[in-house]
Amino acid sequence: MPPVLCLENVTKRYGQTVAVDGVSFTAEPGRLFGLLGPNGAGKTSTIRMVTYITTPDAGTVTLGGEPVGPPTQARMGYLPEERGLYRKLKVGEQLVYLAQLKGMSEAAAKTAVAHWLDRFDAASWADKRTEELSKGMQQKVQFISTVVHDPELVILDEPFSGLDPLNADLLVEVIGEMRDAGRTVLFASHRMESVEALCDDLCLIAGGQAVLQGSLREVKRRFGRDTVTVAFAGDSGWLGPLTEAGAVRVLSQSEGQAVLRLGAGTPPRAVLEAALAGAEEIDRFEVHEPPLVDIFRQAVTGSEFGVQSSELDRLGETNSELRTSNSELR
Amino acid sequence: MNKTLLIAKSEYLRRIRSKWFIVATLAVPLLGVASFALPLLAFSDDSGERIAVVDETGRLGEAVAEALPENTEVVATDAPVDSLRAQILDGRLDGALVLPEALLDSVGEARAAYYARGGIDPQGGLRRSVREVVRQARAEAAGASPAVVDAFASDVALDRVTVSADGDGGDDALGRFLLANFLALLIYIAILIYGMLVMRGVIEEKANRIVEVVASSVRPFELMMGKVLGIGAVGLSQLLAWMALMAGMTVAAGPLLVMLAPDPATAMPAGAGVDVPDPAAMLSGVVSPGLVVAFVLFFIGGYLLYSALFAAVGSAVDQESDAQSLQAPVVLPIMLPVFFLAIVADEPDSTLALVLSLFPLSSPILMVVRMAVTDVPVWQVALALVLLGAAFVGVIALAARIYRVGILMYGKKATFGDLWRWLRTA
Repeated sequence: MPPVLCLENVTKRYGQTVAVDGVSFTAEPGRLFGLLGPNGAGKTSTIRMVTYITTPDAGTVTLGGEPVGPPTQARMGYLPEERGLYRKLKVGEQLVYLAQLKGMSEAAAKTAVAHWLDRFDAASWADKRTEELSKGMQQKVQFISTVVHDPELVILDEPFSGLDPLNADLLVEVIGEMRDAGRTVLFASHRMESVEALCDDLCLIAGGQAVLQGSLREVKRRFGRDTVTVAFAGDSGWLGPLTEAGAVRVLSQSEGQAVLRLGAGTPPRAVLEAALAGAEEIDRFEVHEPPLVDIFRQAVTGSEFGVQSSELDRLGETNSELRTSNSELR
Repeated sequence: MNKTLLIAKSEYLRRIRSKWFIVATLAVPLLGVASFALPLLAFSDDSGERIAVVDETGRLGEAVAEALPENTEVVATDAPVDSLRAQILDGRLDGALVLPEALLDSVGEARAAYYARGGIDPQGGLRRSVREVVRQARAEAAGASPAVVDAFASDVALDRVTVSADGDGGDDALGRFLLANFLALLIYIAILIYGMLVMRGVIEEKANRIVEVVASSVRPFELMMGKVLGIGAVGLSQLLAWMALMAGMTVAAGPLLVMLAPDPATAMPAGAGVDVPDPAAMLSGVVSPGLVVAFVLFFIGGYLLYSALFAAVGSAVDQESDAQSLQAPVVLPIMLPVFFLAIVADEPDSTLALVLSLFPLSSPILMVVRMAVTDVPVWQVALALVLLGAAFVGVIALAARIYRVGILMYGKKATFGDLWRWLRTA
């Protein structure tokens, strides 16, 4: 049975709060599934039910057709958002122990741990105590503990937080290999850009509910090519009349570049004409699909389930932070 | 391998290799034997003391000197107290005894005085020696016949016999009482130490956030039981090591103690009527294999019961300092039996003692106390163990419900109300 992860109408309450409210989605093997949403949207609560740390109040979670339980736990690897290791244990012992908890024999665990430590250029750490490692090294150890038992389903909650670009690249490489090997990868994040770059399928959740899902391409297509990027030289005064008339909305703007959402009935050429008339020079003009963060904003406000506007603001902030850090990296 | 056993094994090996464990295992028996042996060594210090006696009565000095231990050097003098003080201060004298003339008055208003550099009756039995001699002199002065004086000076021996089903034993009441205290304190301390260790372990896993990784591999109950069993095995290993080491040291030290121990005939004032028992012989006379087995079983039962509660408390907090208020209701029932220890040891067959030694929260300590001081019917011991086992099953079920919610809760400090809600909703 291929390791399809399937959630049907899953609901979880904590006291009066409904953390997860009737969420359904399917994550296919050989594909990277992105579970997206702002902090507090219900991502971690959903993952905890998938990993059988908690059980749903209603609905079912199955892996390969089998309801999740202790046997499926052994076939999953989970990298929680809050990383944690036994500080006093040696790296090697720690990984072997965690692999044994997943049901591996001691001998098999030792072989696999040696292989993965090698792969991450970390073989020399095996006899070091975990607390002696730097934060980045601990992240690698933690990632190894997630995949050492060769799980069918890998769950990564914010896997890139705290990773430097080189290690992030290594992680992307390994995730790609697992996908190609037919594993199911569930990737939870509130960072839309990393999801946009990696995921095949996605599910957006907000306020405990799935507000949008499908393959990345399909979702983007659904929202149409209603976004325009203009790179120009000179004064940006030409934008004023367009926004005042309600023909476009500015999604983001920086020195010499603006990303605009076209209003209903505004043809792209209207923007180009205004730019040609107002700007000194046009470097680039492109009509494209909206960025994921904007799709998310639209999906949430467009849905009948209201999301706290502060949540959306937070989402916007994190994304602009990410953009800044990305441009710094370049 | 069973996950619970796997976790228990890891916990066990991790802790037994630690420096803390090795140091504690060696240091505690050494301290224990030292605390027994040092007073004896001090006691057996037979370098005689040098005491000045200022006899203003002119009659008692010689008698007092005779009544003092043989190795005391008595210096009769009539030097003024000030010069004696100076000699005591510069170490030429160990003490000075002043017997005022009025001591002979039968009314007895006068007081003898002993000058020395402190300590509790440094001349063991000095007070008794003076009293005997003065009484005798007063009686003679009052015209009592030598027969009457002898009659009052004579010693009356009292033999205590402990009655049990197996036959009557000799006088070992004191030994049994000491043993009861020793075992009770050992169980009390062990339950507290290892229970706290479980709590600390749970808090550490939670604070390290490793618990979420582990909870995605094993059931919370398996994790909790693995920890409880692993640390319990550490405790048991340590207790057994302590018992073996102490037994070994006692055997080795036994001849030494006998050699060092004061011979009552020489060190004690004549006719003092006090027997100094040999503690090692006393203990070995009252420790039966049944008691050792019961001790181990009650330690295991008591530890399991309380460590489950400690695990629940640990799961509810983010850091150790937050555990103070929540752990009070767990620590208190461990401490209470210690307050009842003397009562139960004194009247081991009273209804109160029976009830407390059957009640699971106090039986681990108090049943062992009763067993040490008297002959407890086997059915009572068995009943106490069954009740303890039943209580453990009930408590661990409750503790597990709190635990599995608690380990995933961060931030807010949990109250008893929260724990109650977790119990009901989990």
